[in-house]
Amino acid sequence: MRAAINQKLIEMGERERLKELLRAKLVECGWKDQLKAQCKDVIREKGLEHVTVEDLVTEVTPKGRALVPDSVKKELLQRIRAFLAQHATL
Amino acid sequence: MSSLDNSKLEGLAQEILSDLVEDACLGLCFDVHRAVKQGYFFLDDTDQESMRDFEIVDQPGLDVFGQVYNQWKNKECVCPNCSRSIAASRFAPHLEKCLGMGRNSSRIANRRIVTGNNTNNKSESDQEDNDDVNDNDWSYGAEKKAKKRKSDKNPNSPRRSKSFKHKSSMMGPRRRMDNQESPRMLMKDEAFPQ
Repeated sequence: MRAAINQKLIEMGERERLKELLRAKLVECGWKDQLKAQCKDVIREKGLEHVTVEDLVTEVTPKGRALVPDSVKKELLQRIRAFLAQHATL
Repeated sequence: MSSLDNSKLEGLAQEILSDLVEDACLGLCFDVHRAVKQGYFFLDDTDQESMRDFEIVDQPGLDVFGQVYNQWKNKECVCPNCSRSIAASRFAPHLEKCLGMGRNSSRIANRRIVTGNNTNNKSESDQEDNDDVNDNDWSYGAEKKAKKRKSDKNPNSPRRSKSFKHKSSMMGPRRRMDNQESPRMLMKDEAFPQ
């Protein structure tokens, strides 16, 4: 069922819309700037020339998850639940 | 049974949210990494001193650049034409009237001429004619024509007796014609079999 729902999400374009919505909200609330500052720290630590994508991802992603504000999470969840209520067949 | 479904759905929603957040994080990491490798990541940073110089100003009475923004409210300027001292915010409209240039001043002057007032701005009316010809909105000539035609139509217009259907269909095109005779001729009964 999970796969079916995910497929529906993608096919109907809803996943793309949700992604854009999330991105916009995260920029608005300053999350992106906070995380960019974190990235700067990692870069200064590892050295500008030698930093890799893996470095950034492993260091920054957990902080990124934690720093998402609750209001943003709530709003996204609302939209997701609405979609599931309409399209999830059990 | 419904509570089980609900918790399932809730779990699903949380998973989807988690995926989306992860996508956002990864996207950011890729962007930053590319910026680092292409060399434009640190472009908006400069030395500390410059950063301090151009910091945003947050004091009352100043704008964000540190400039005083109502500095020109109380200043007075001397008009080169009439040598009067005028307040800065009223200076531009005063100049328009004083020099007789600009859109409004020509209309005011024309109105004065039409109502027969004797003004001493005879020399400026020549300038105004030129202005009006170049004016895109309307020109004095066309207004004259329109006014004249309206007053002509009212007393002896044959259209008064015509049905509304003809009137509305013929109104549009006729406005554009220069010759005032031809429309009236067209309106005669012989031309329109009814």
